[in-house]
Amino acid sequence: MTKKINKRTVFAFGRGARRWLVIAMLSLVAAPAFAQQAETVVAPPPTLSTKEQRAVDAFLERVRAYVALREGIENKLPKLSTQSTPEQIEAHETALEVKVRTARLGARRGEMFTPDVARHIRSTIKKEYRGRERVELRESVLEADTKGVALRVNYTYPEDKELVEMPPTLLLKLPQLPKQLRYRFVGRNMALVDRENELIIDYMLDALP
Amino acid sequence: MKRLMLTSLVAVLVFGFGGSVDYARGQNITAASSIAPASDAATVNLSLPVKEGSVRFLVVGDTGTGTVQQQELADVMTRHRAAFPFEFVLLLGDNLYGSEKPQDFKTKFEDVYKSLLEDDVKFYATLGNHDQSNQRFYGLFNMGGNEYYRLQKGSVAFYCLNSNYMDKRQVKWLNDELAKDTSEWKIAFFHHPPYSSGGKHGSSSDLREIVEPIFLKYGVNAVFAGHEHFYERIKPQNGIYYFISGAGGKLRPGDVKKGSPLTEKAFDGDMSFMLLEVAGDELHFQVISRAGATVDAGVLANQRKKSLSAAN
Repeated sequence: MTKKINKRTVFAFGRGARRWLVIAMLSLVAAPAFAQQAETVVAPPPTLSTKEQRAVDAFLERVRAYVALREGIENKLPKLSTQSTPEQIEAHETALEVKVRTARLGARRGEMFTPDVARHIRSTIKKEYRGRERVELRESVLEADTKGVALRVNYTYPEDKELVEMPPTLLLKLPQLPKQLRYRFVGRNMALVDRENELIIDYMLDALP
Repeated sequence: MKRLMLTSLVAVLVFGFGGSVDYARGQNITAASSIAPASDAATVNLSLPVKEGSVRFLVVGDTGTGTVQQQELADVMTRHRAAFPFEFVLLLGDNLYGSEKPQDFKTKFEDVYKSLLEDDVKFYATLGNHDQSNQRFYGLFNMGGNEYYRLQKGSVAFYCLNSNYMDKRQVKWLNDELAKDTSEWKIAFFHHPPYSSGGKHGSSSDLREIVEPIFLKYGVNAVFAGHEHFYERIKPQNGIYYFISGAGGKLRPGDVKKGSPLTEKAFDGDMSFMLLEVAGDELHFQVISRAGATVDAGVLANQRKKSLSAAN
């Protein structure tokens, strides 16, 4: 009940309160002085229910398992230096793509974004972006040219297609991914993409309300 | 100031701009047709002081097309280097449009900037929405294998950010690095503009909501972004100088919204780049079009120094 009231209070204030909420979340990772400044004016960020927390934990466990698999593969490949040539980059990318793809043969949609975590992500976006903010979110996401991007698990995101700028305020609210993986909007859908080889690890439909 | 006005002859004649730390002028959008071209190096009109020990660099974004127009602009950069020996270039993202095969690195970057690369000019890139993450390993982009990084040049600390994916990890890094940074100048560069008068994209307000409080807290002086295919100097926002220089390979003519309250000066009539010089407490800038004309120029004071002396 208390949590409900807190949430309502925060959202009833609209954009101003949401901005402070974001600042408060930033303060968790920012310098102490910054945190102190924000703490005096904001309600605490909404906590997850036990069910939601369980779904997020399980999702992150699956993500970690994927990362362990791909790291094991990448560690056996020649390392890319910071002075790599385009040929070396391409060779590394292709080798990593082929080997990870082979290791994940038979991977299917929904194995990472299981229904419970997909529901959590959809509801997070719905709750956090309302009214004008939701309109702006849709505009910024749908502005990117991702037409023709085929969402298929274990296939690559086409390199000649635009990448949607992920709204930072949303990234702060979604489960934090390891650096090897990215959330990426493709139209209204959301993909989980490996940043090194551009493989689509999984995707969920209708993430964007 | 007087010297600047004299040397910025083209800018003064066409726009009445004399270079000032005080942005009291109204909006000024210009088109290419009104500008007299400079034909060769001898006619380069330089409004930058070229002081000994200063930090000199070039800023350009949205370059990676491999078109004749990109090459023409690169030729103008080379001509200006004879008069203004800049040491490095900040690339503001969309370094390679379309495919990113080895051949693309050559035709959309190496061939185009061949003369600058041969002169040992270093390019420091940021990632745009058309760039793959693995560009960070490409030696000639000097990203050190990182999507975001810090670069020190003399008294200036440069912060390259990845605005495609500003997650908690990057926000924490930015906070941590800025918190311990005692540089006299702090400059951030990334792809998506926090403020923009562009009709196609406009301001990246979501990004701004996250980064601007950090910039303010730690005294970032100036921000350079691309994404919009034009040049725009934004009226200082909360004391920070914001620039857009995203017409290095593509142009979106007429895209700057007329009457935008954000615009201090804008140019969407041709492709362009910026020349910059940090000398002591001053940041000098000059914007050059593909025709070789100056479309904007000025000098900005270090805001932190200004407030310190005001406090004393």
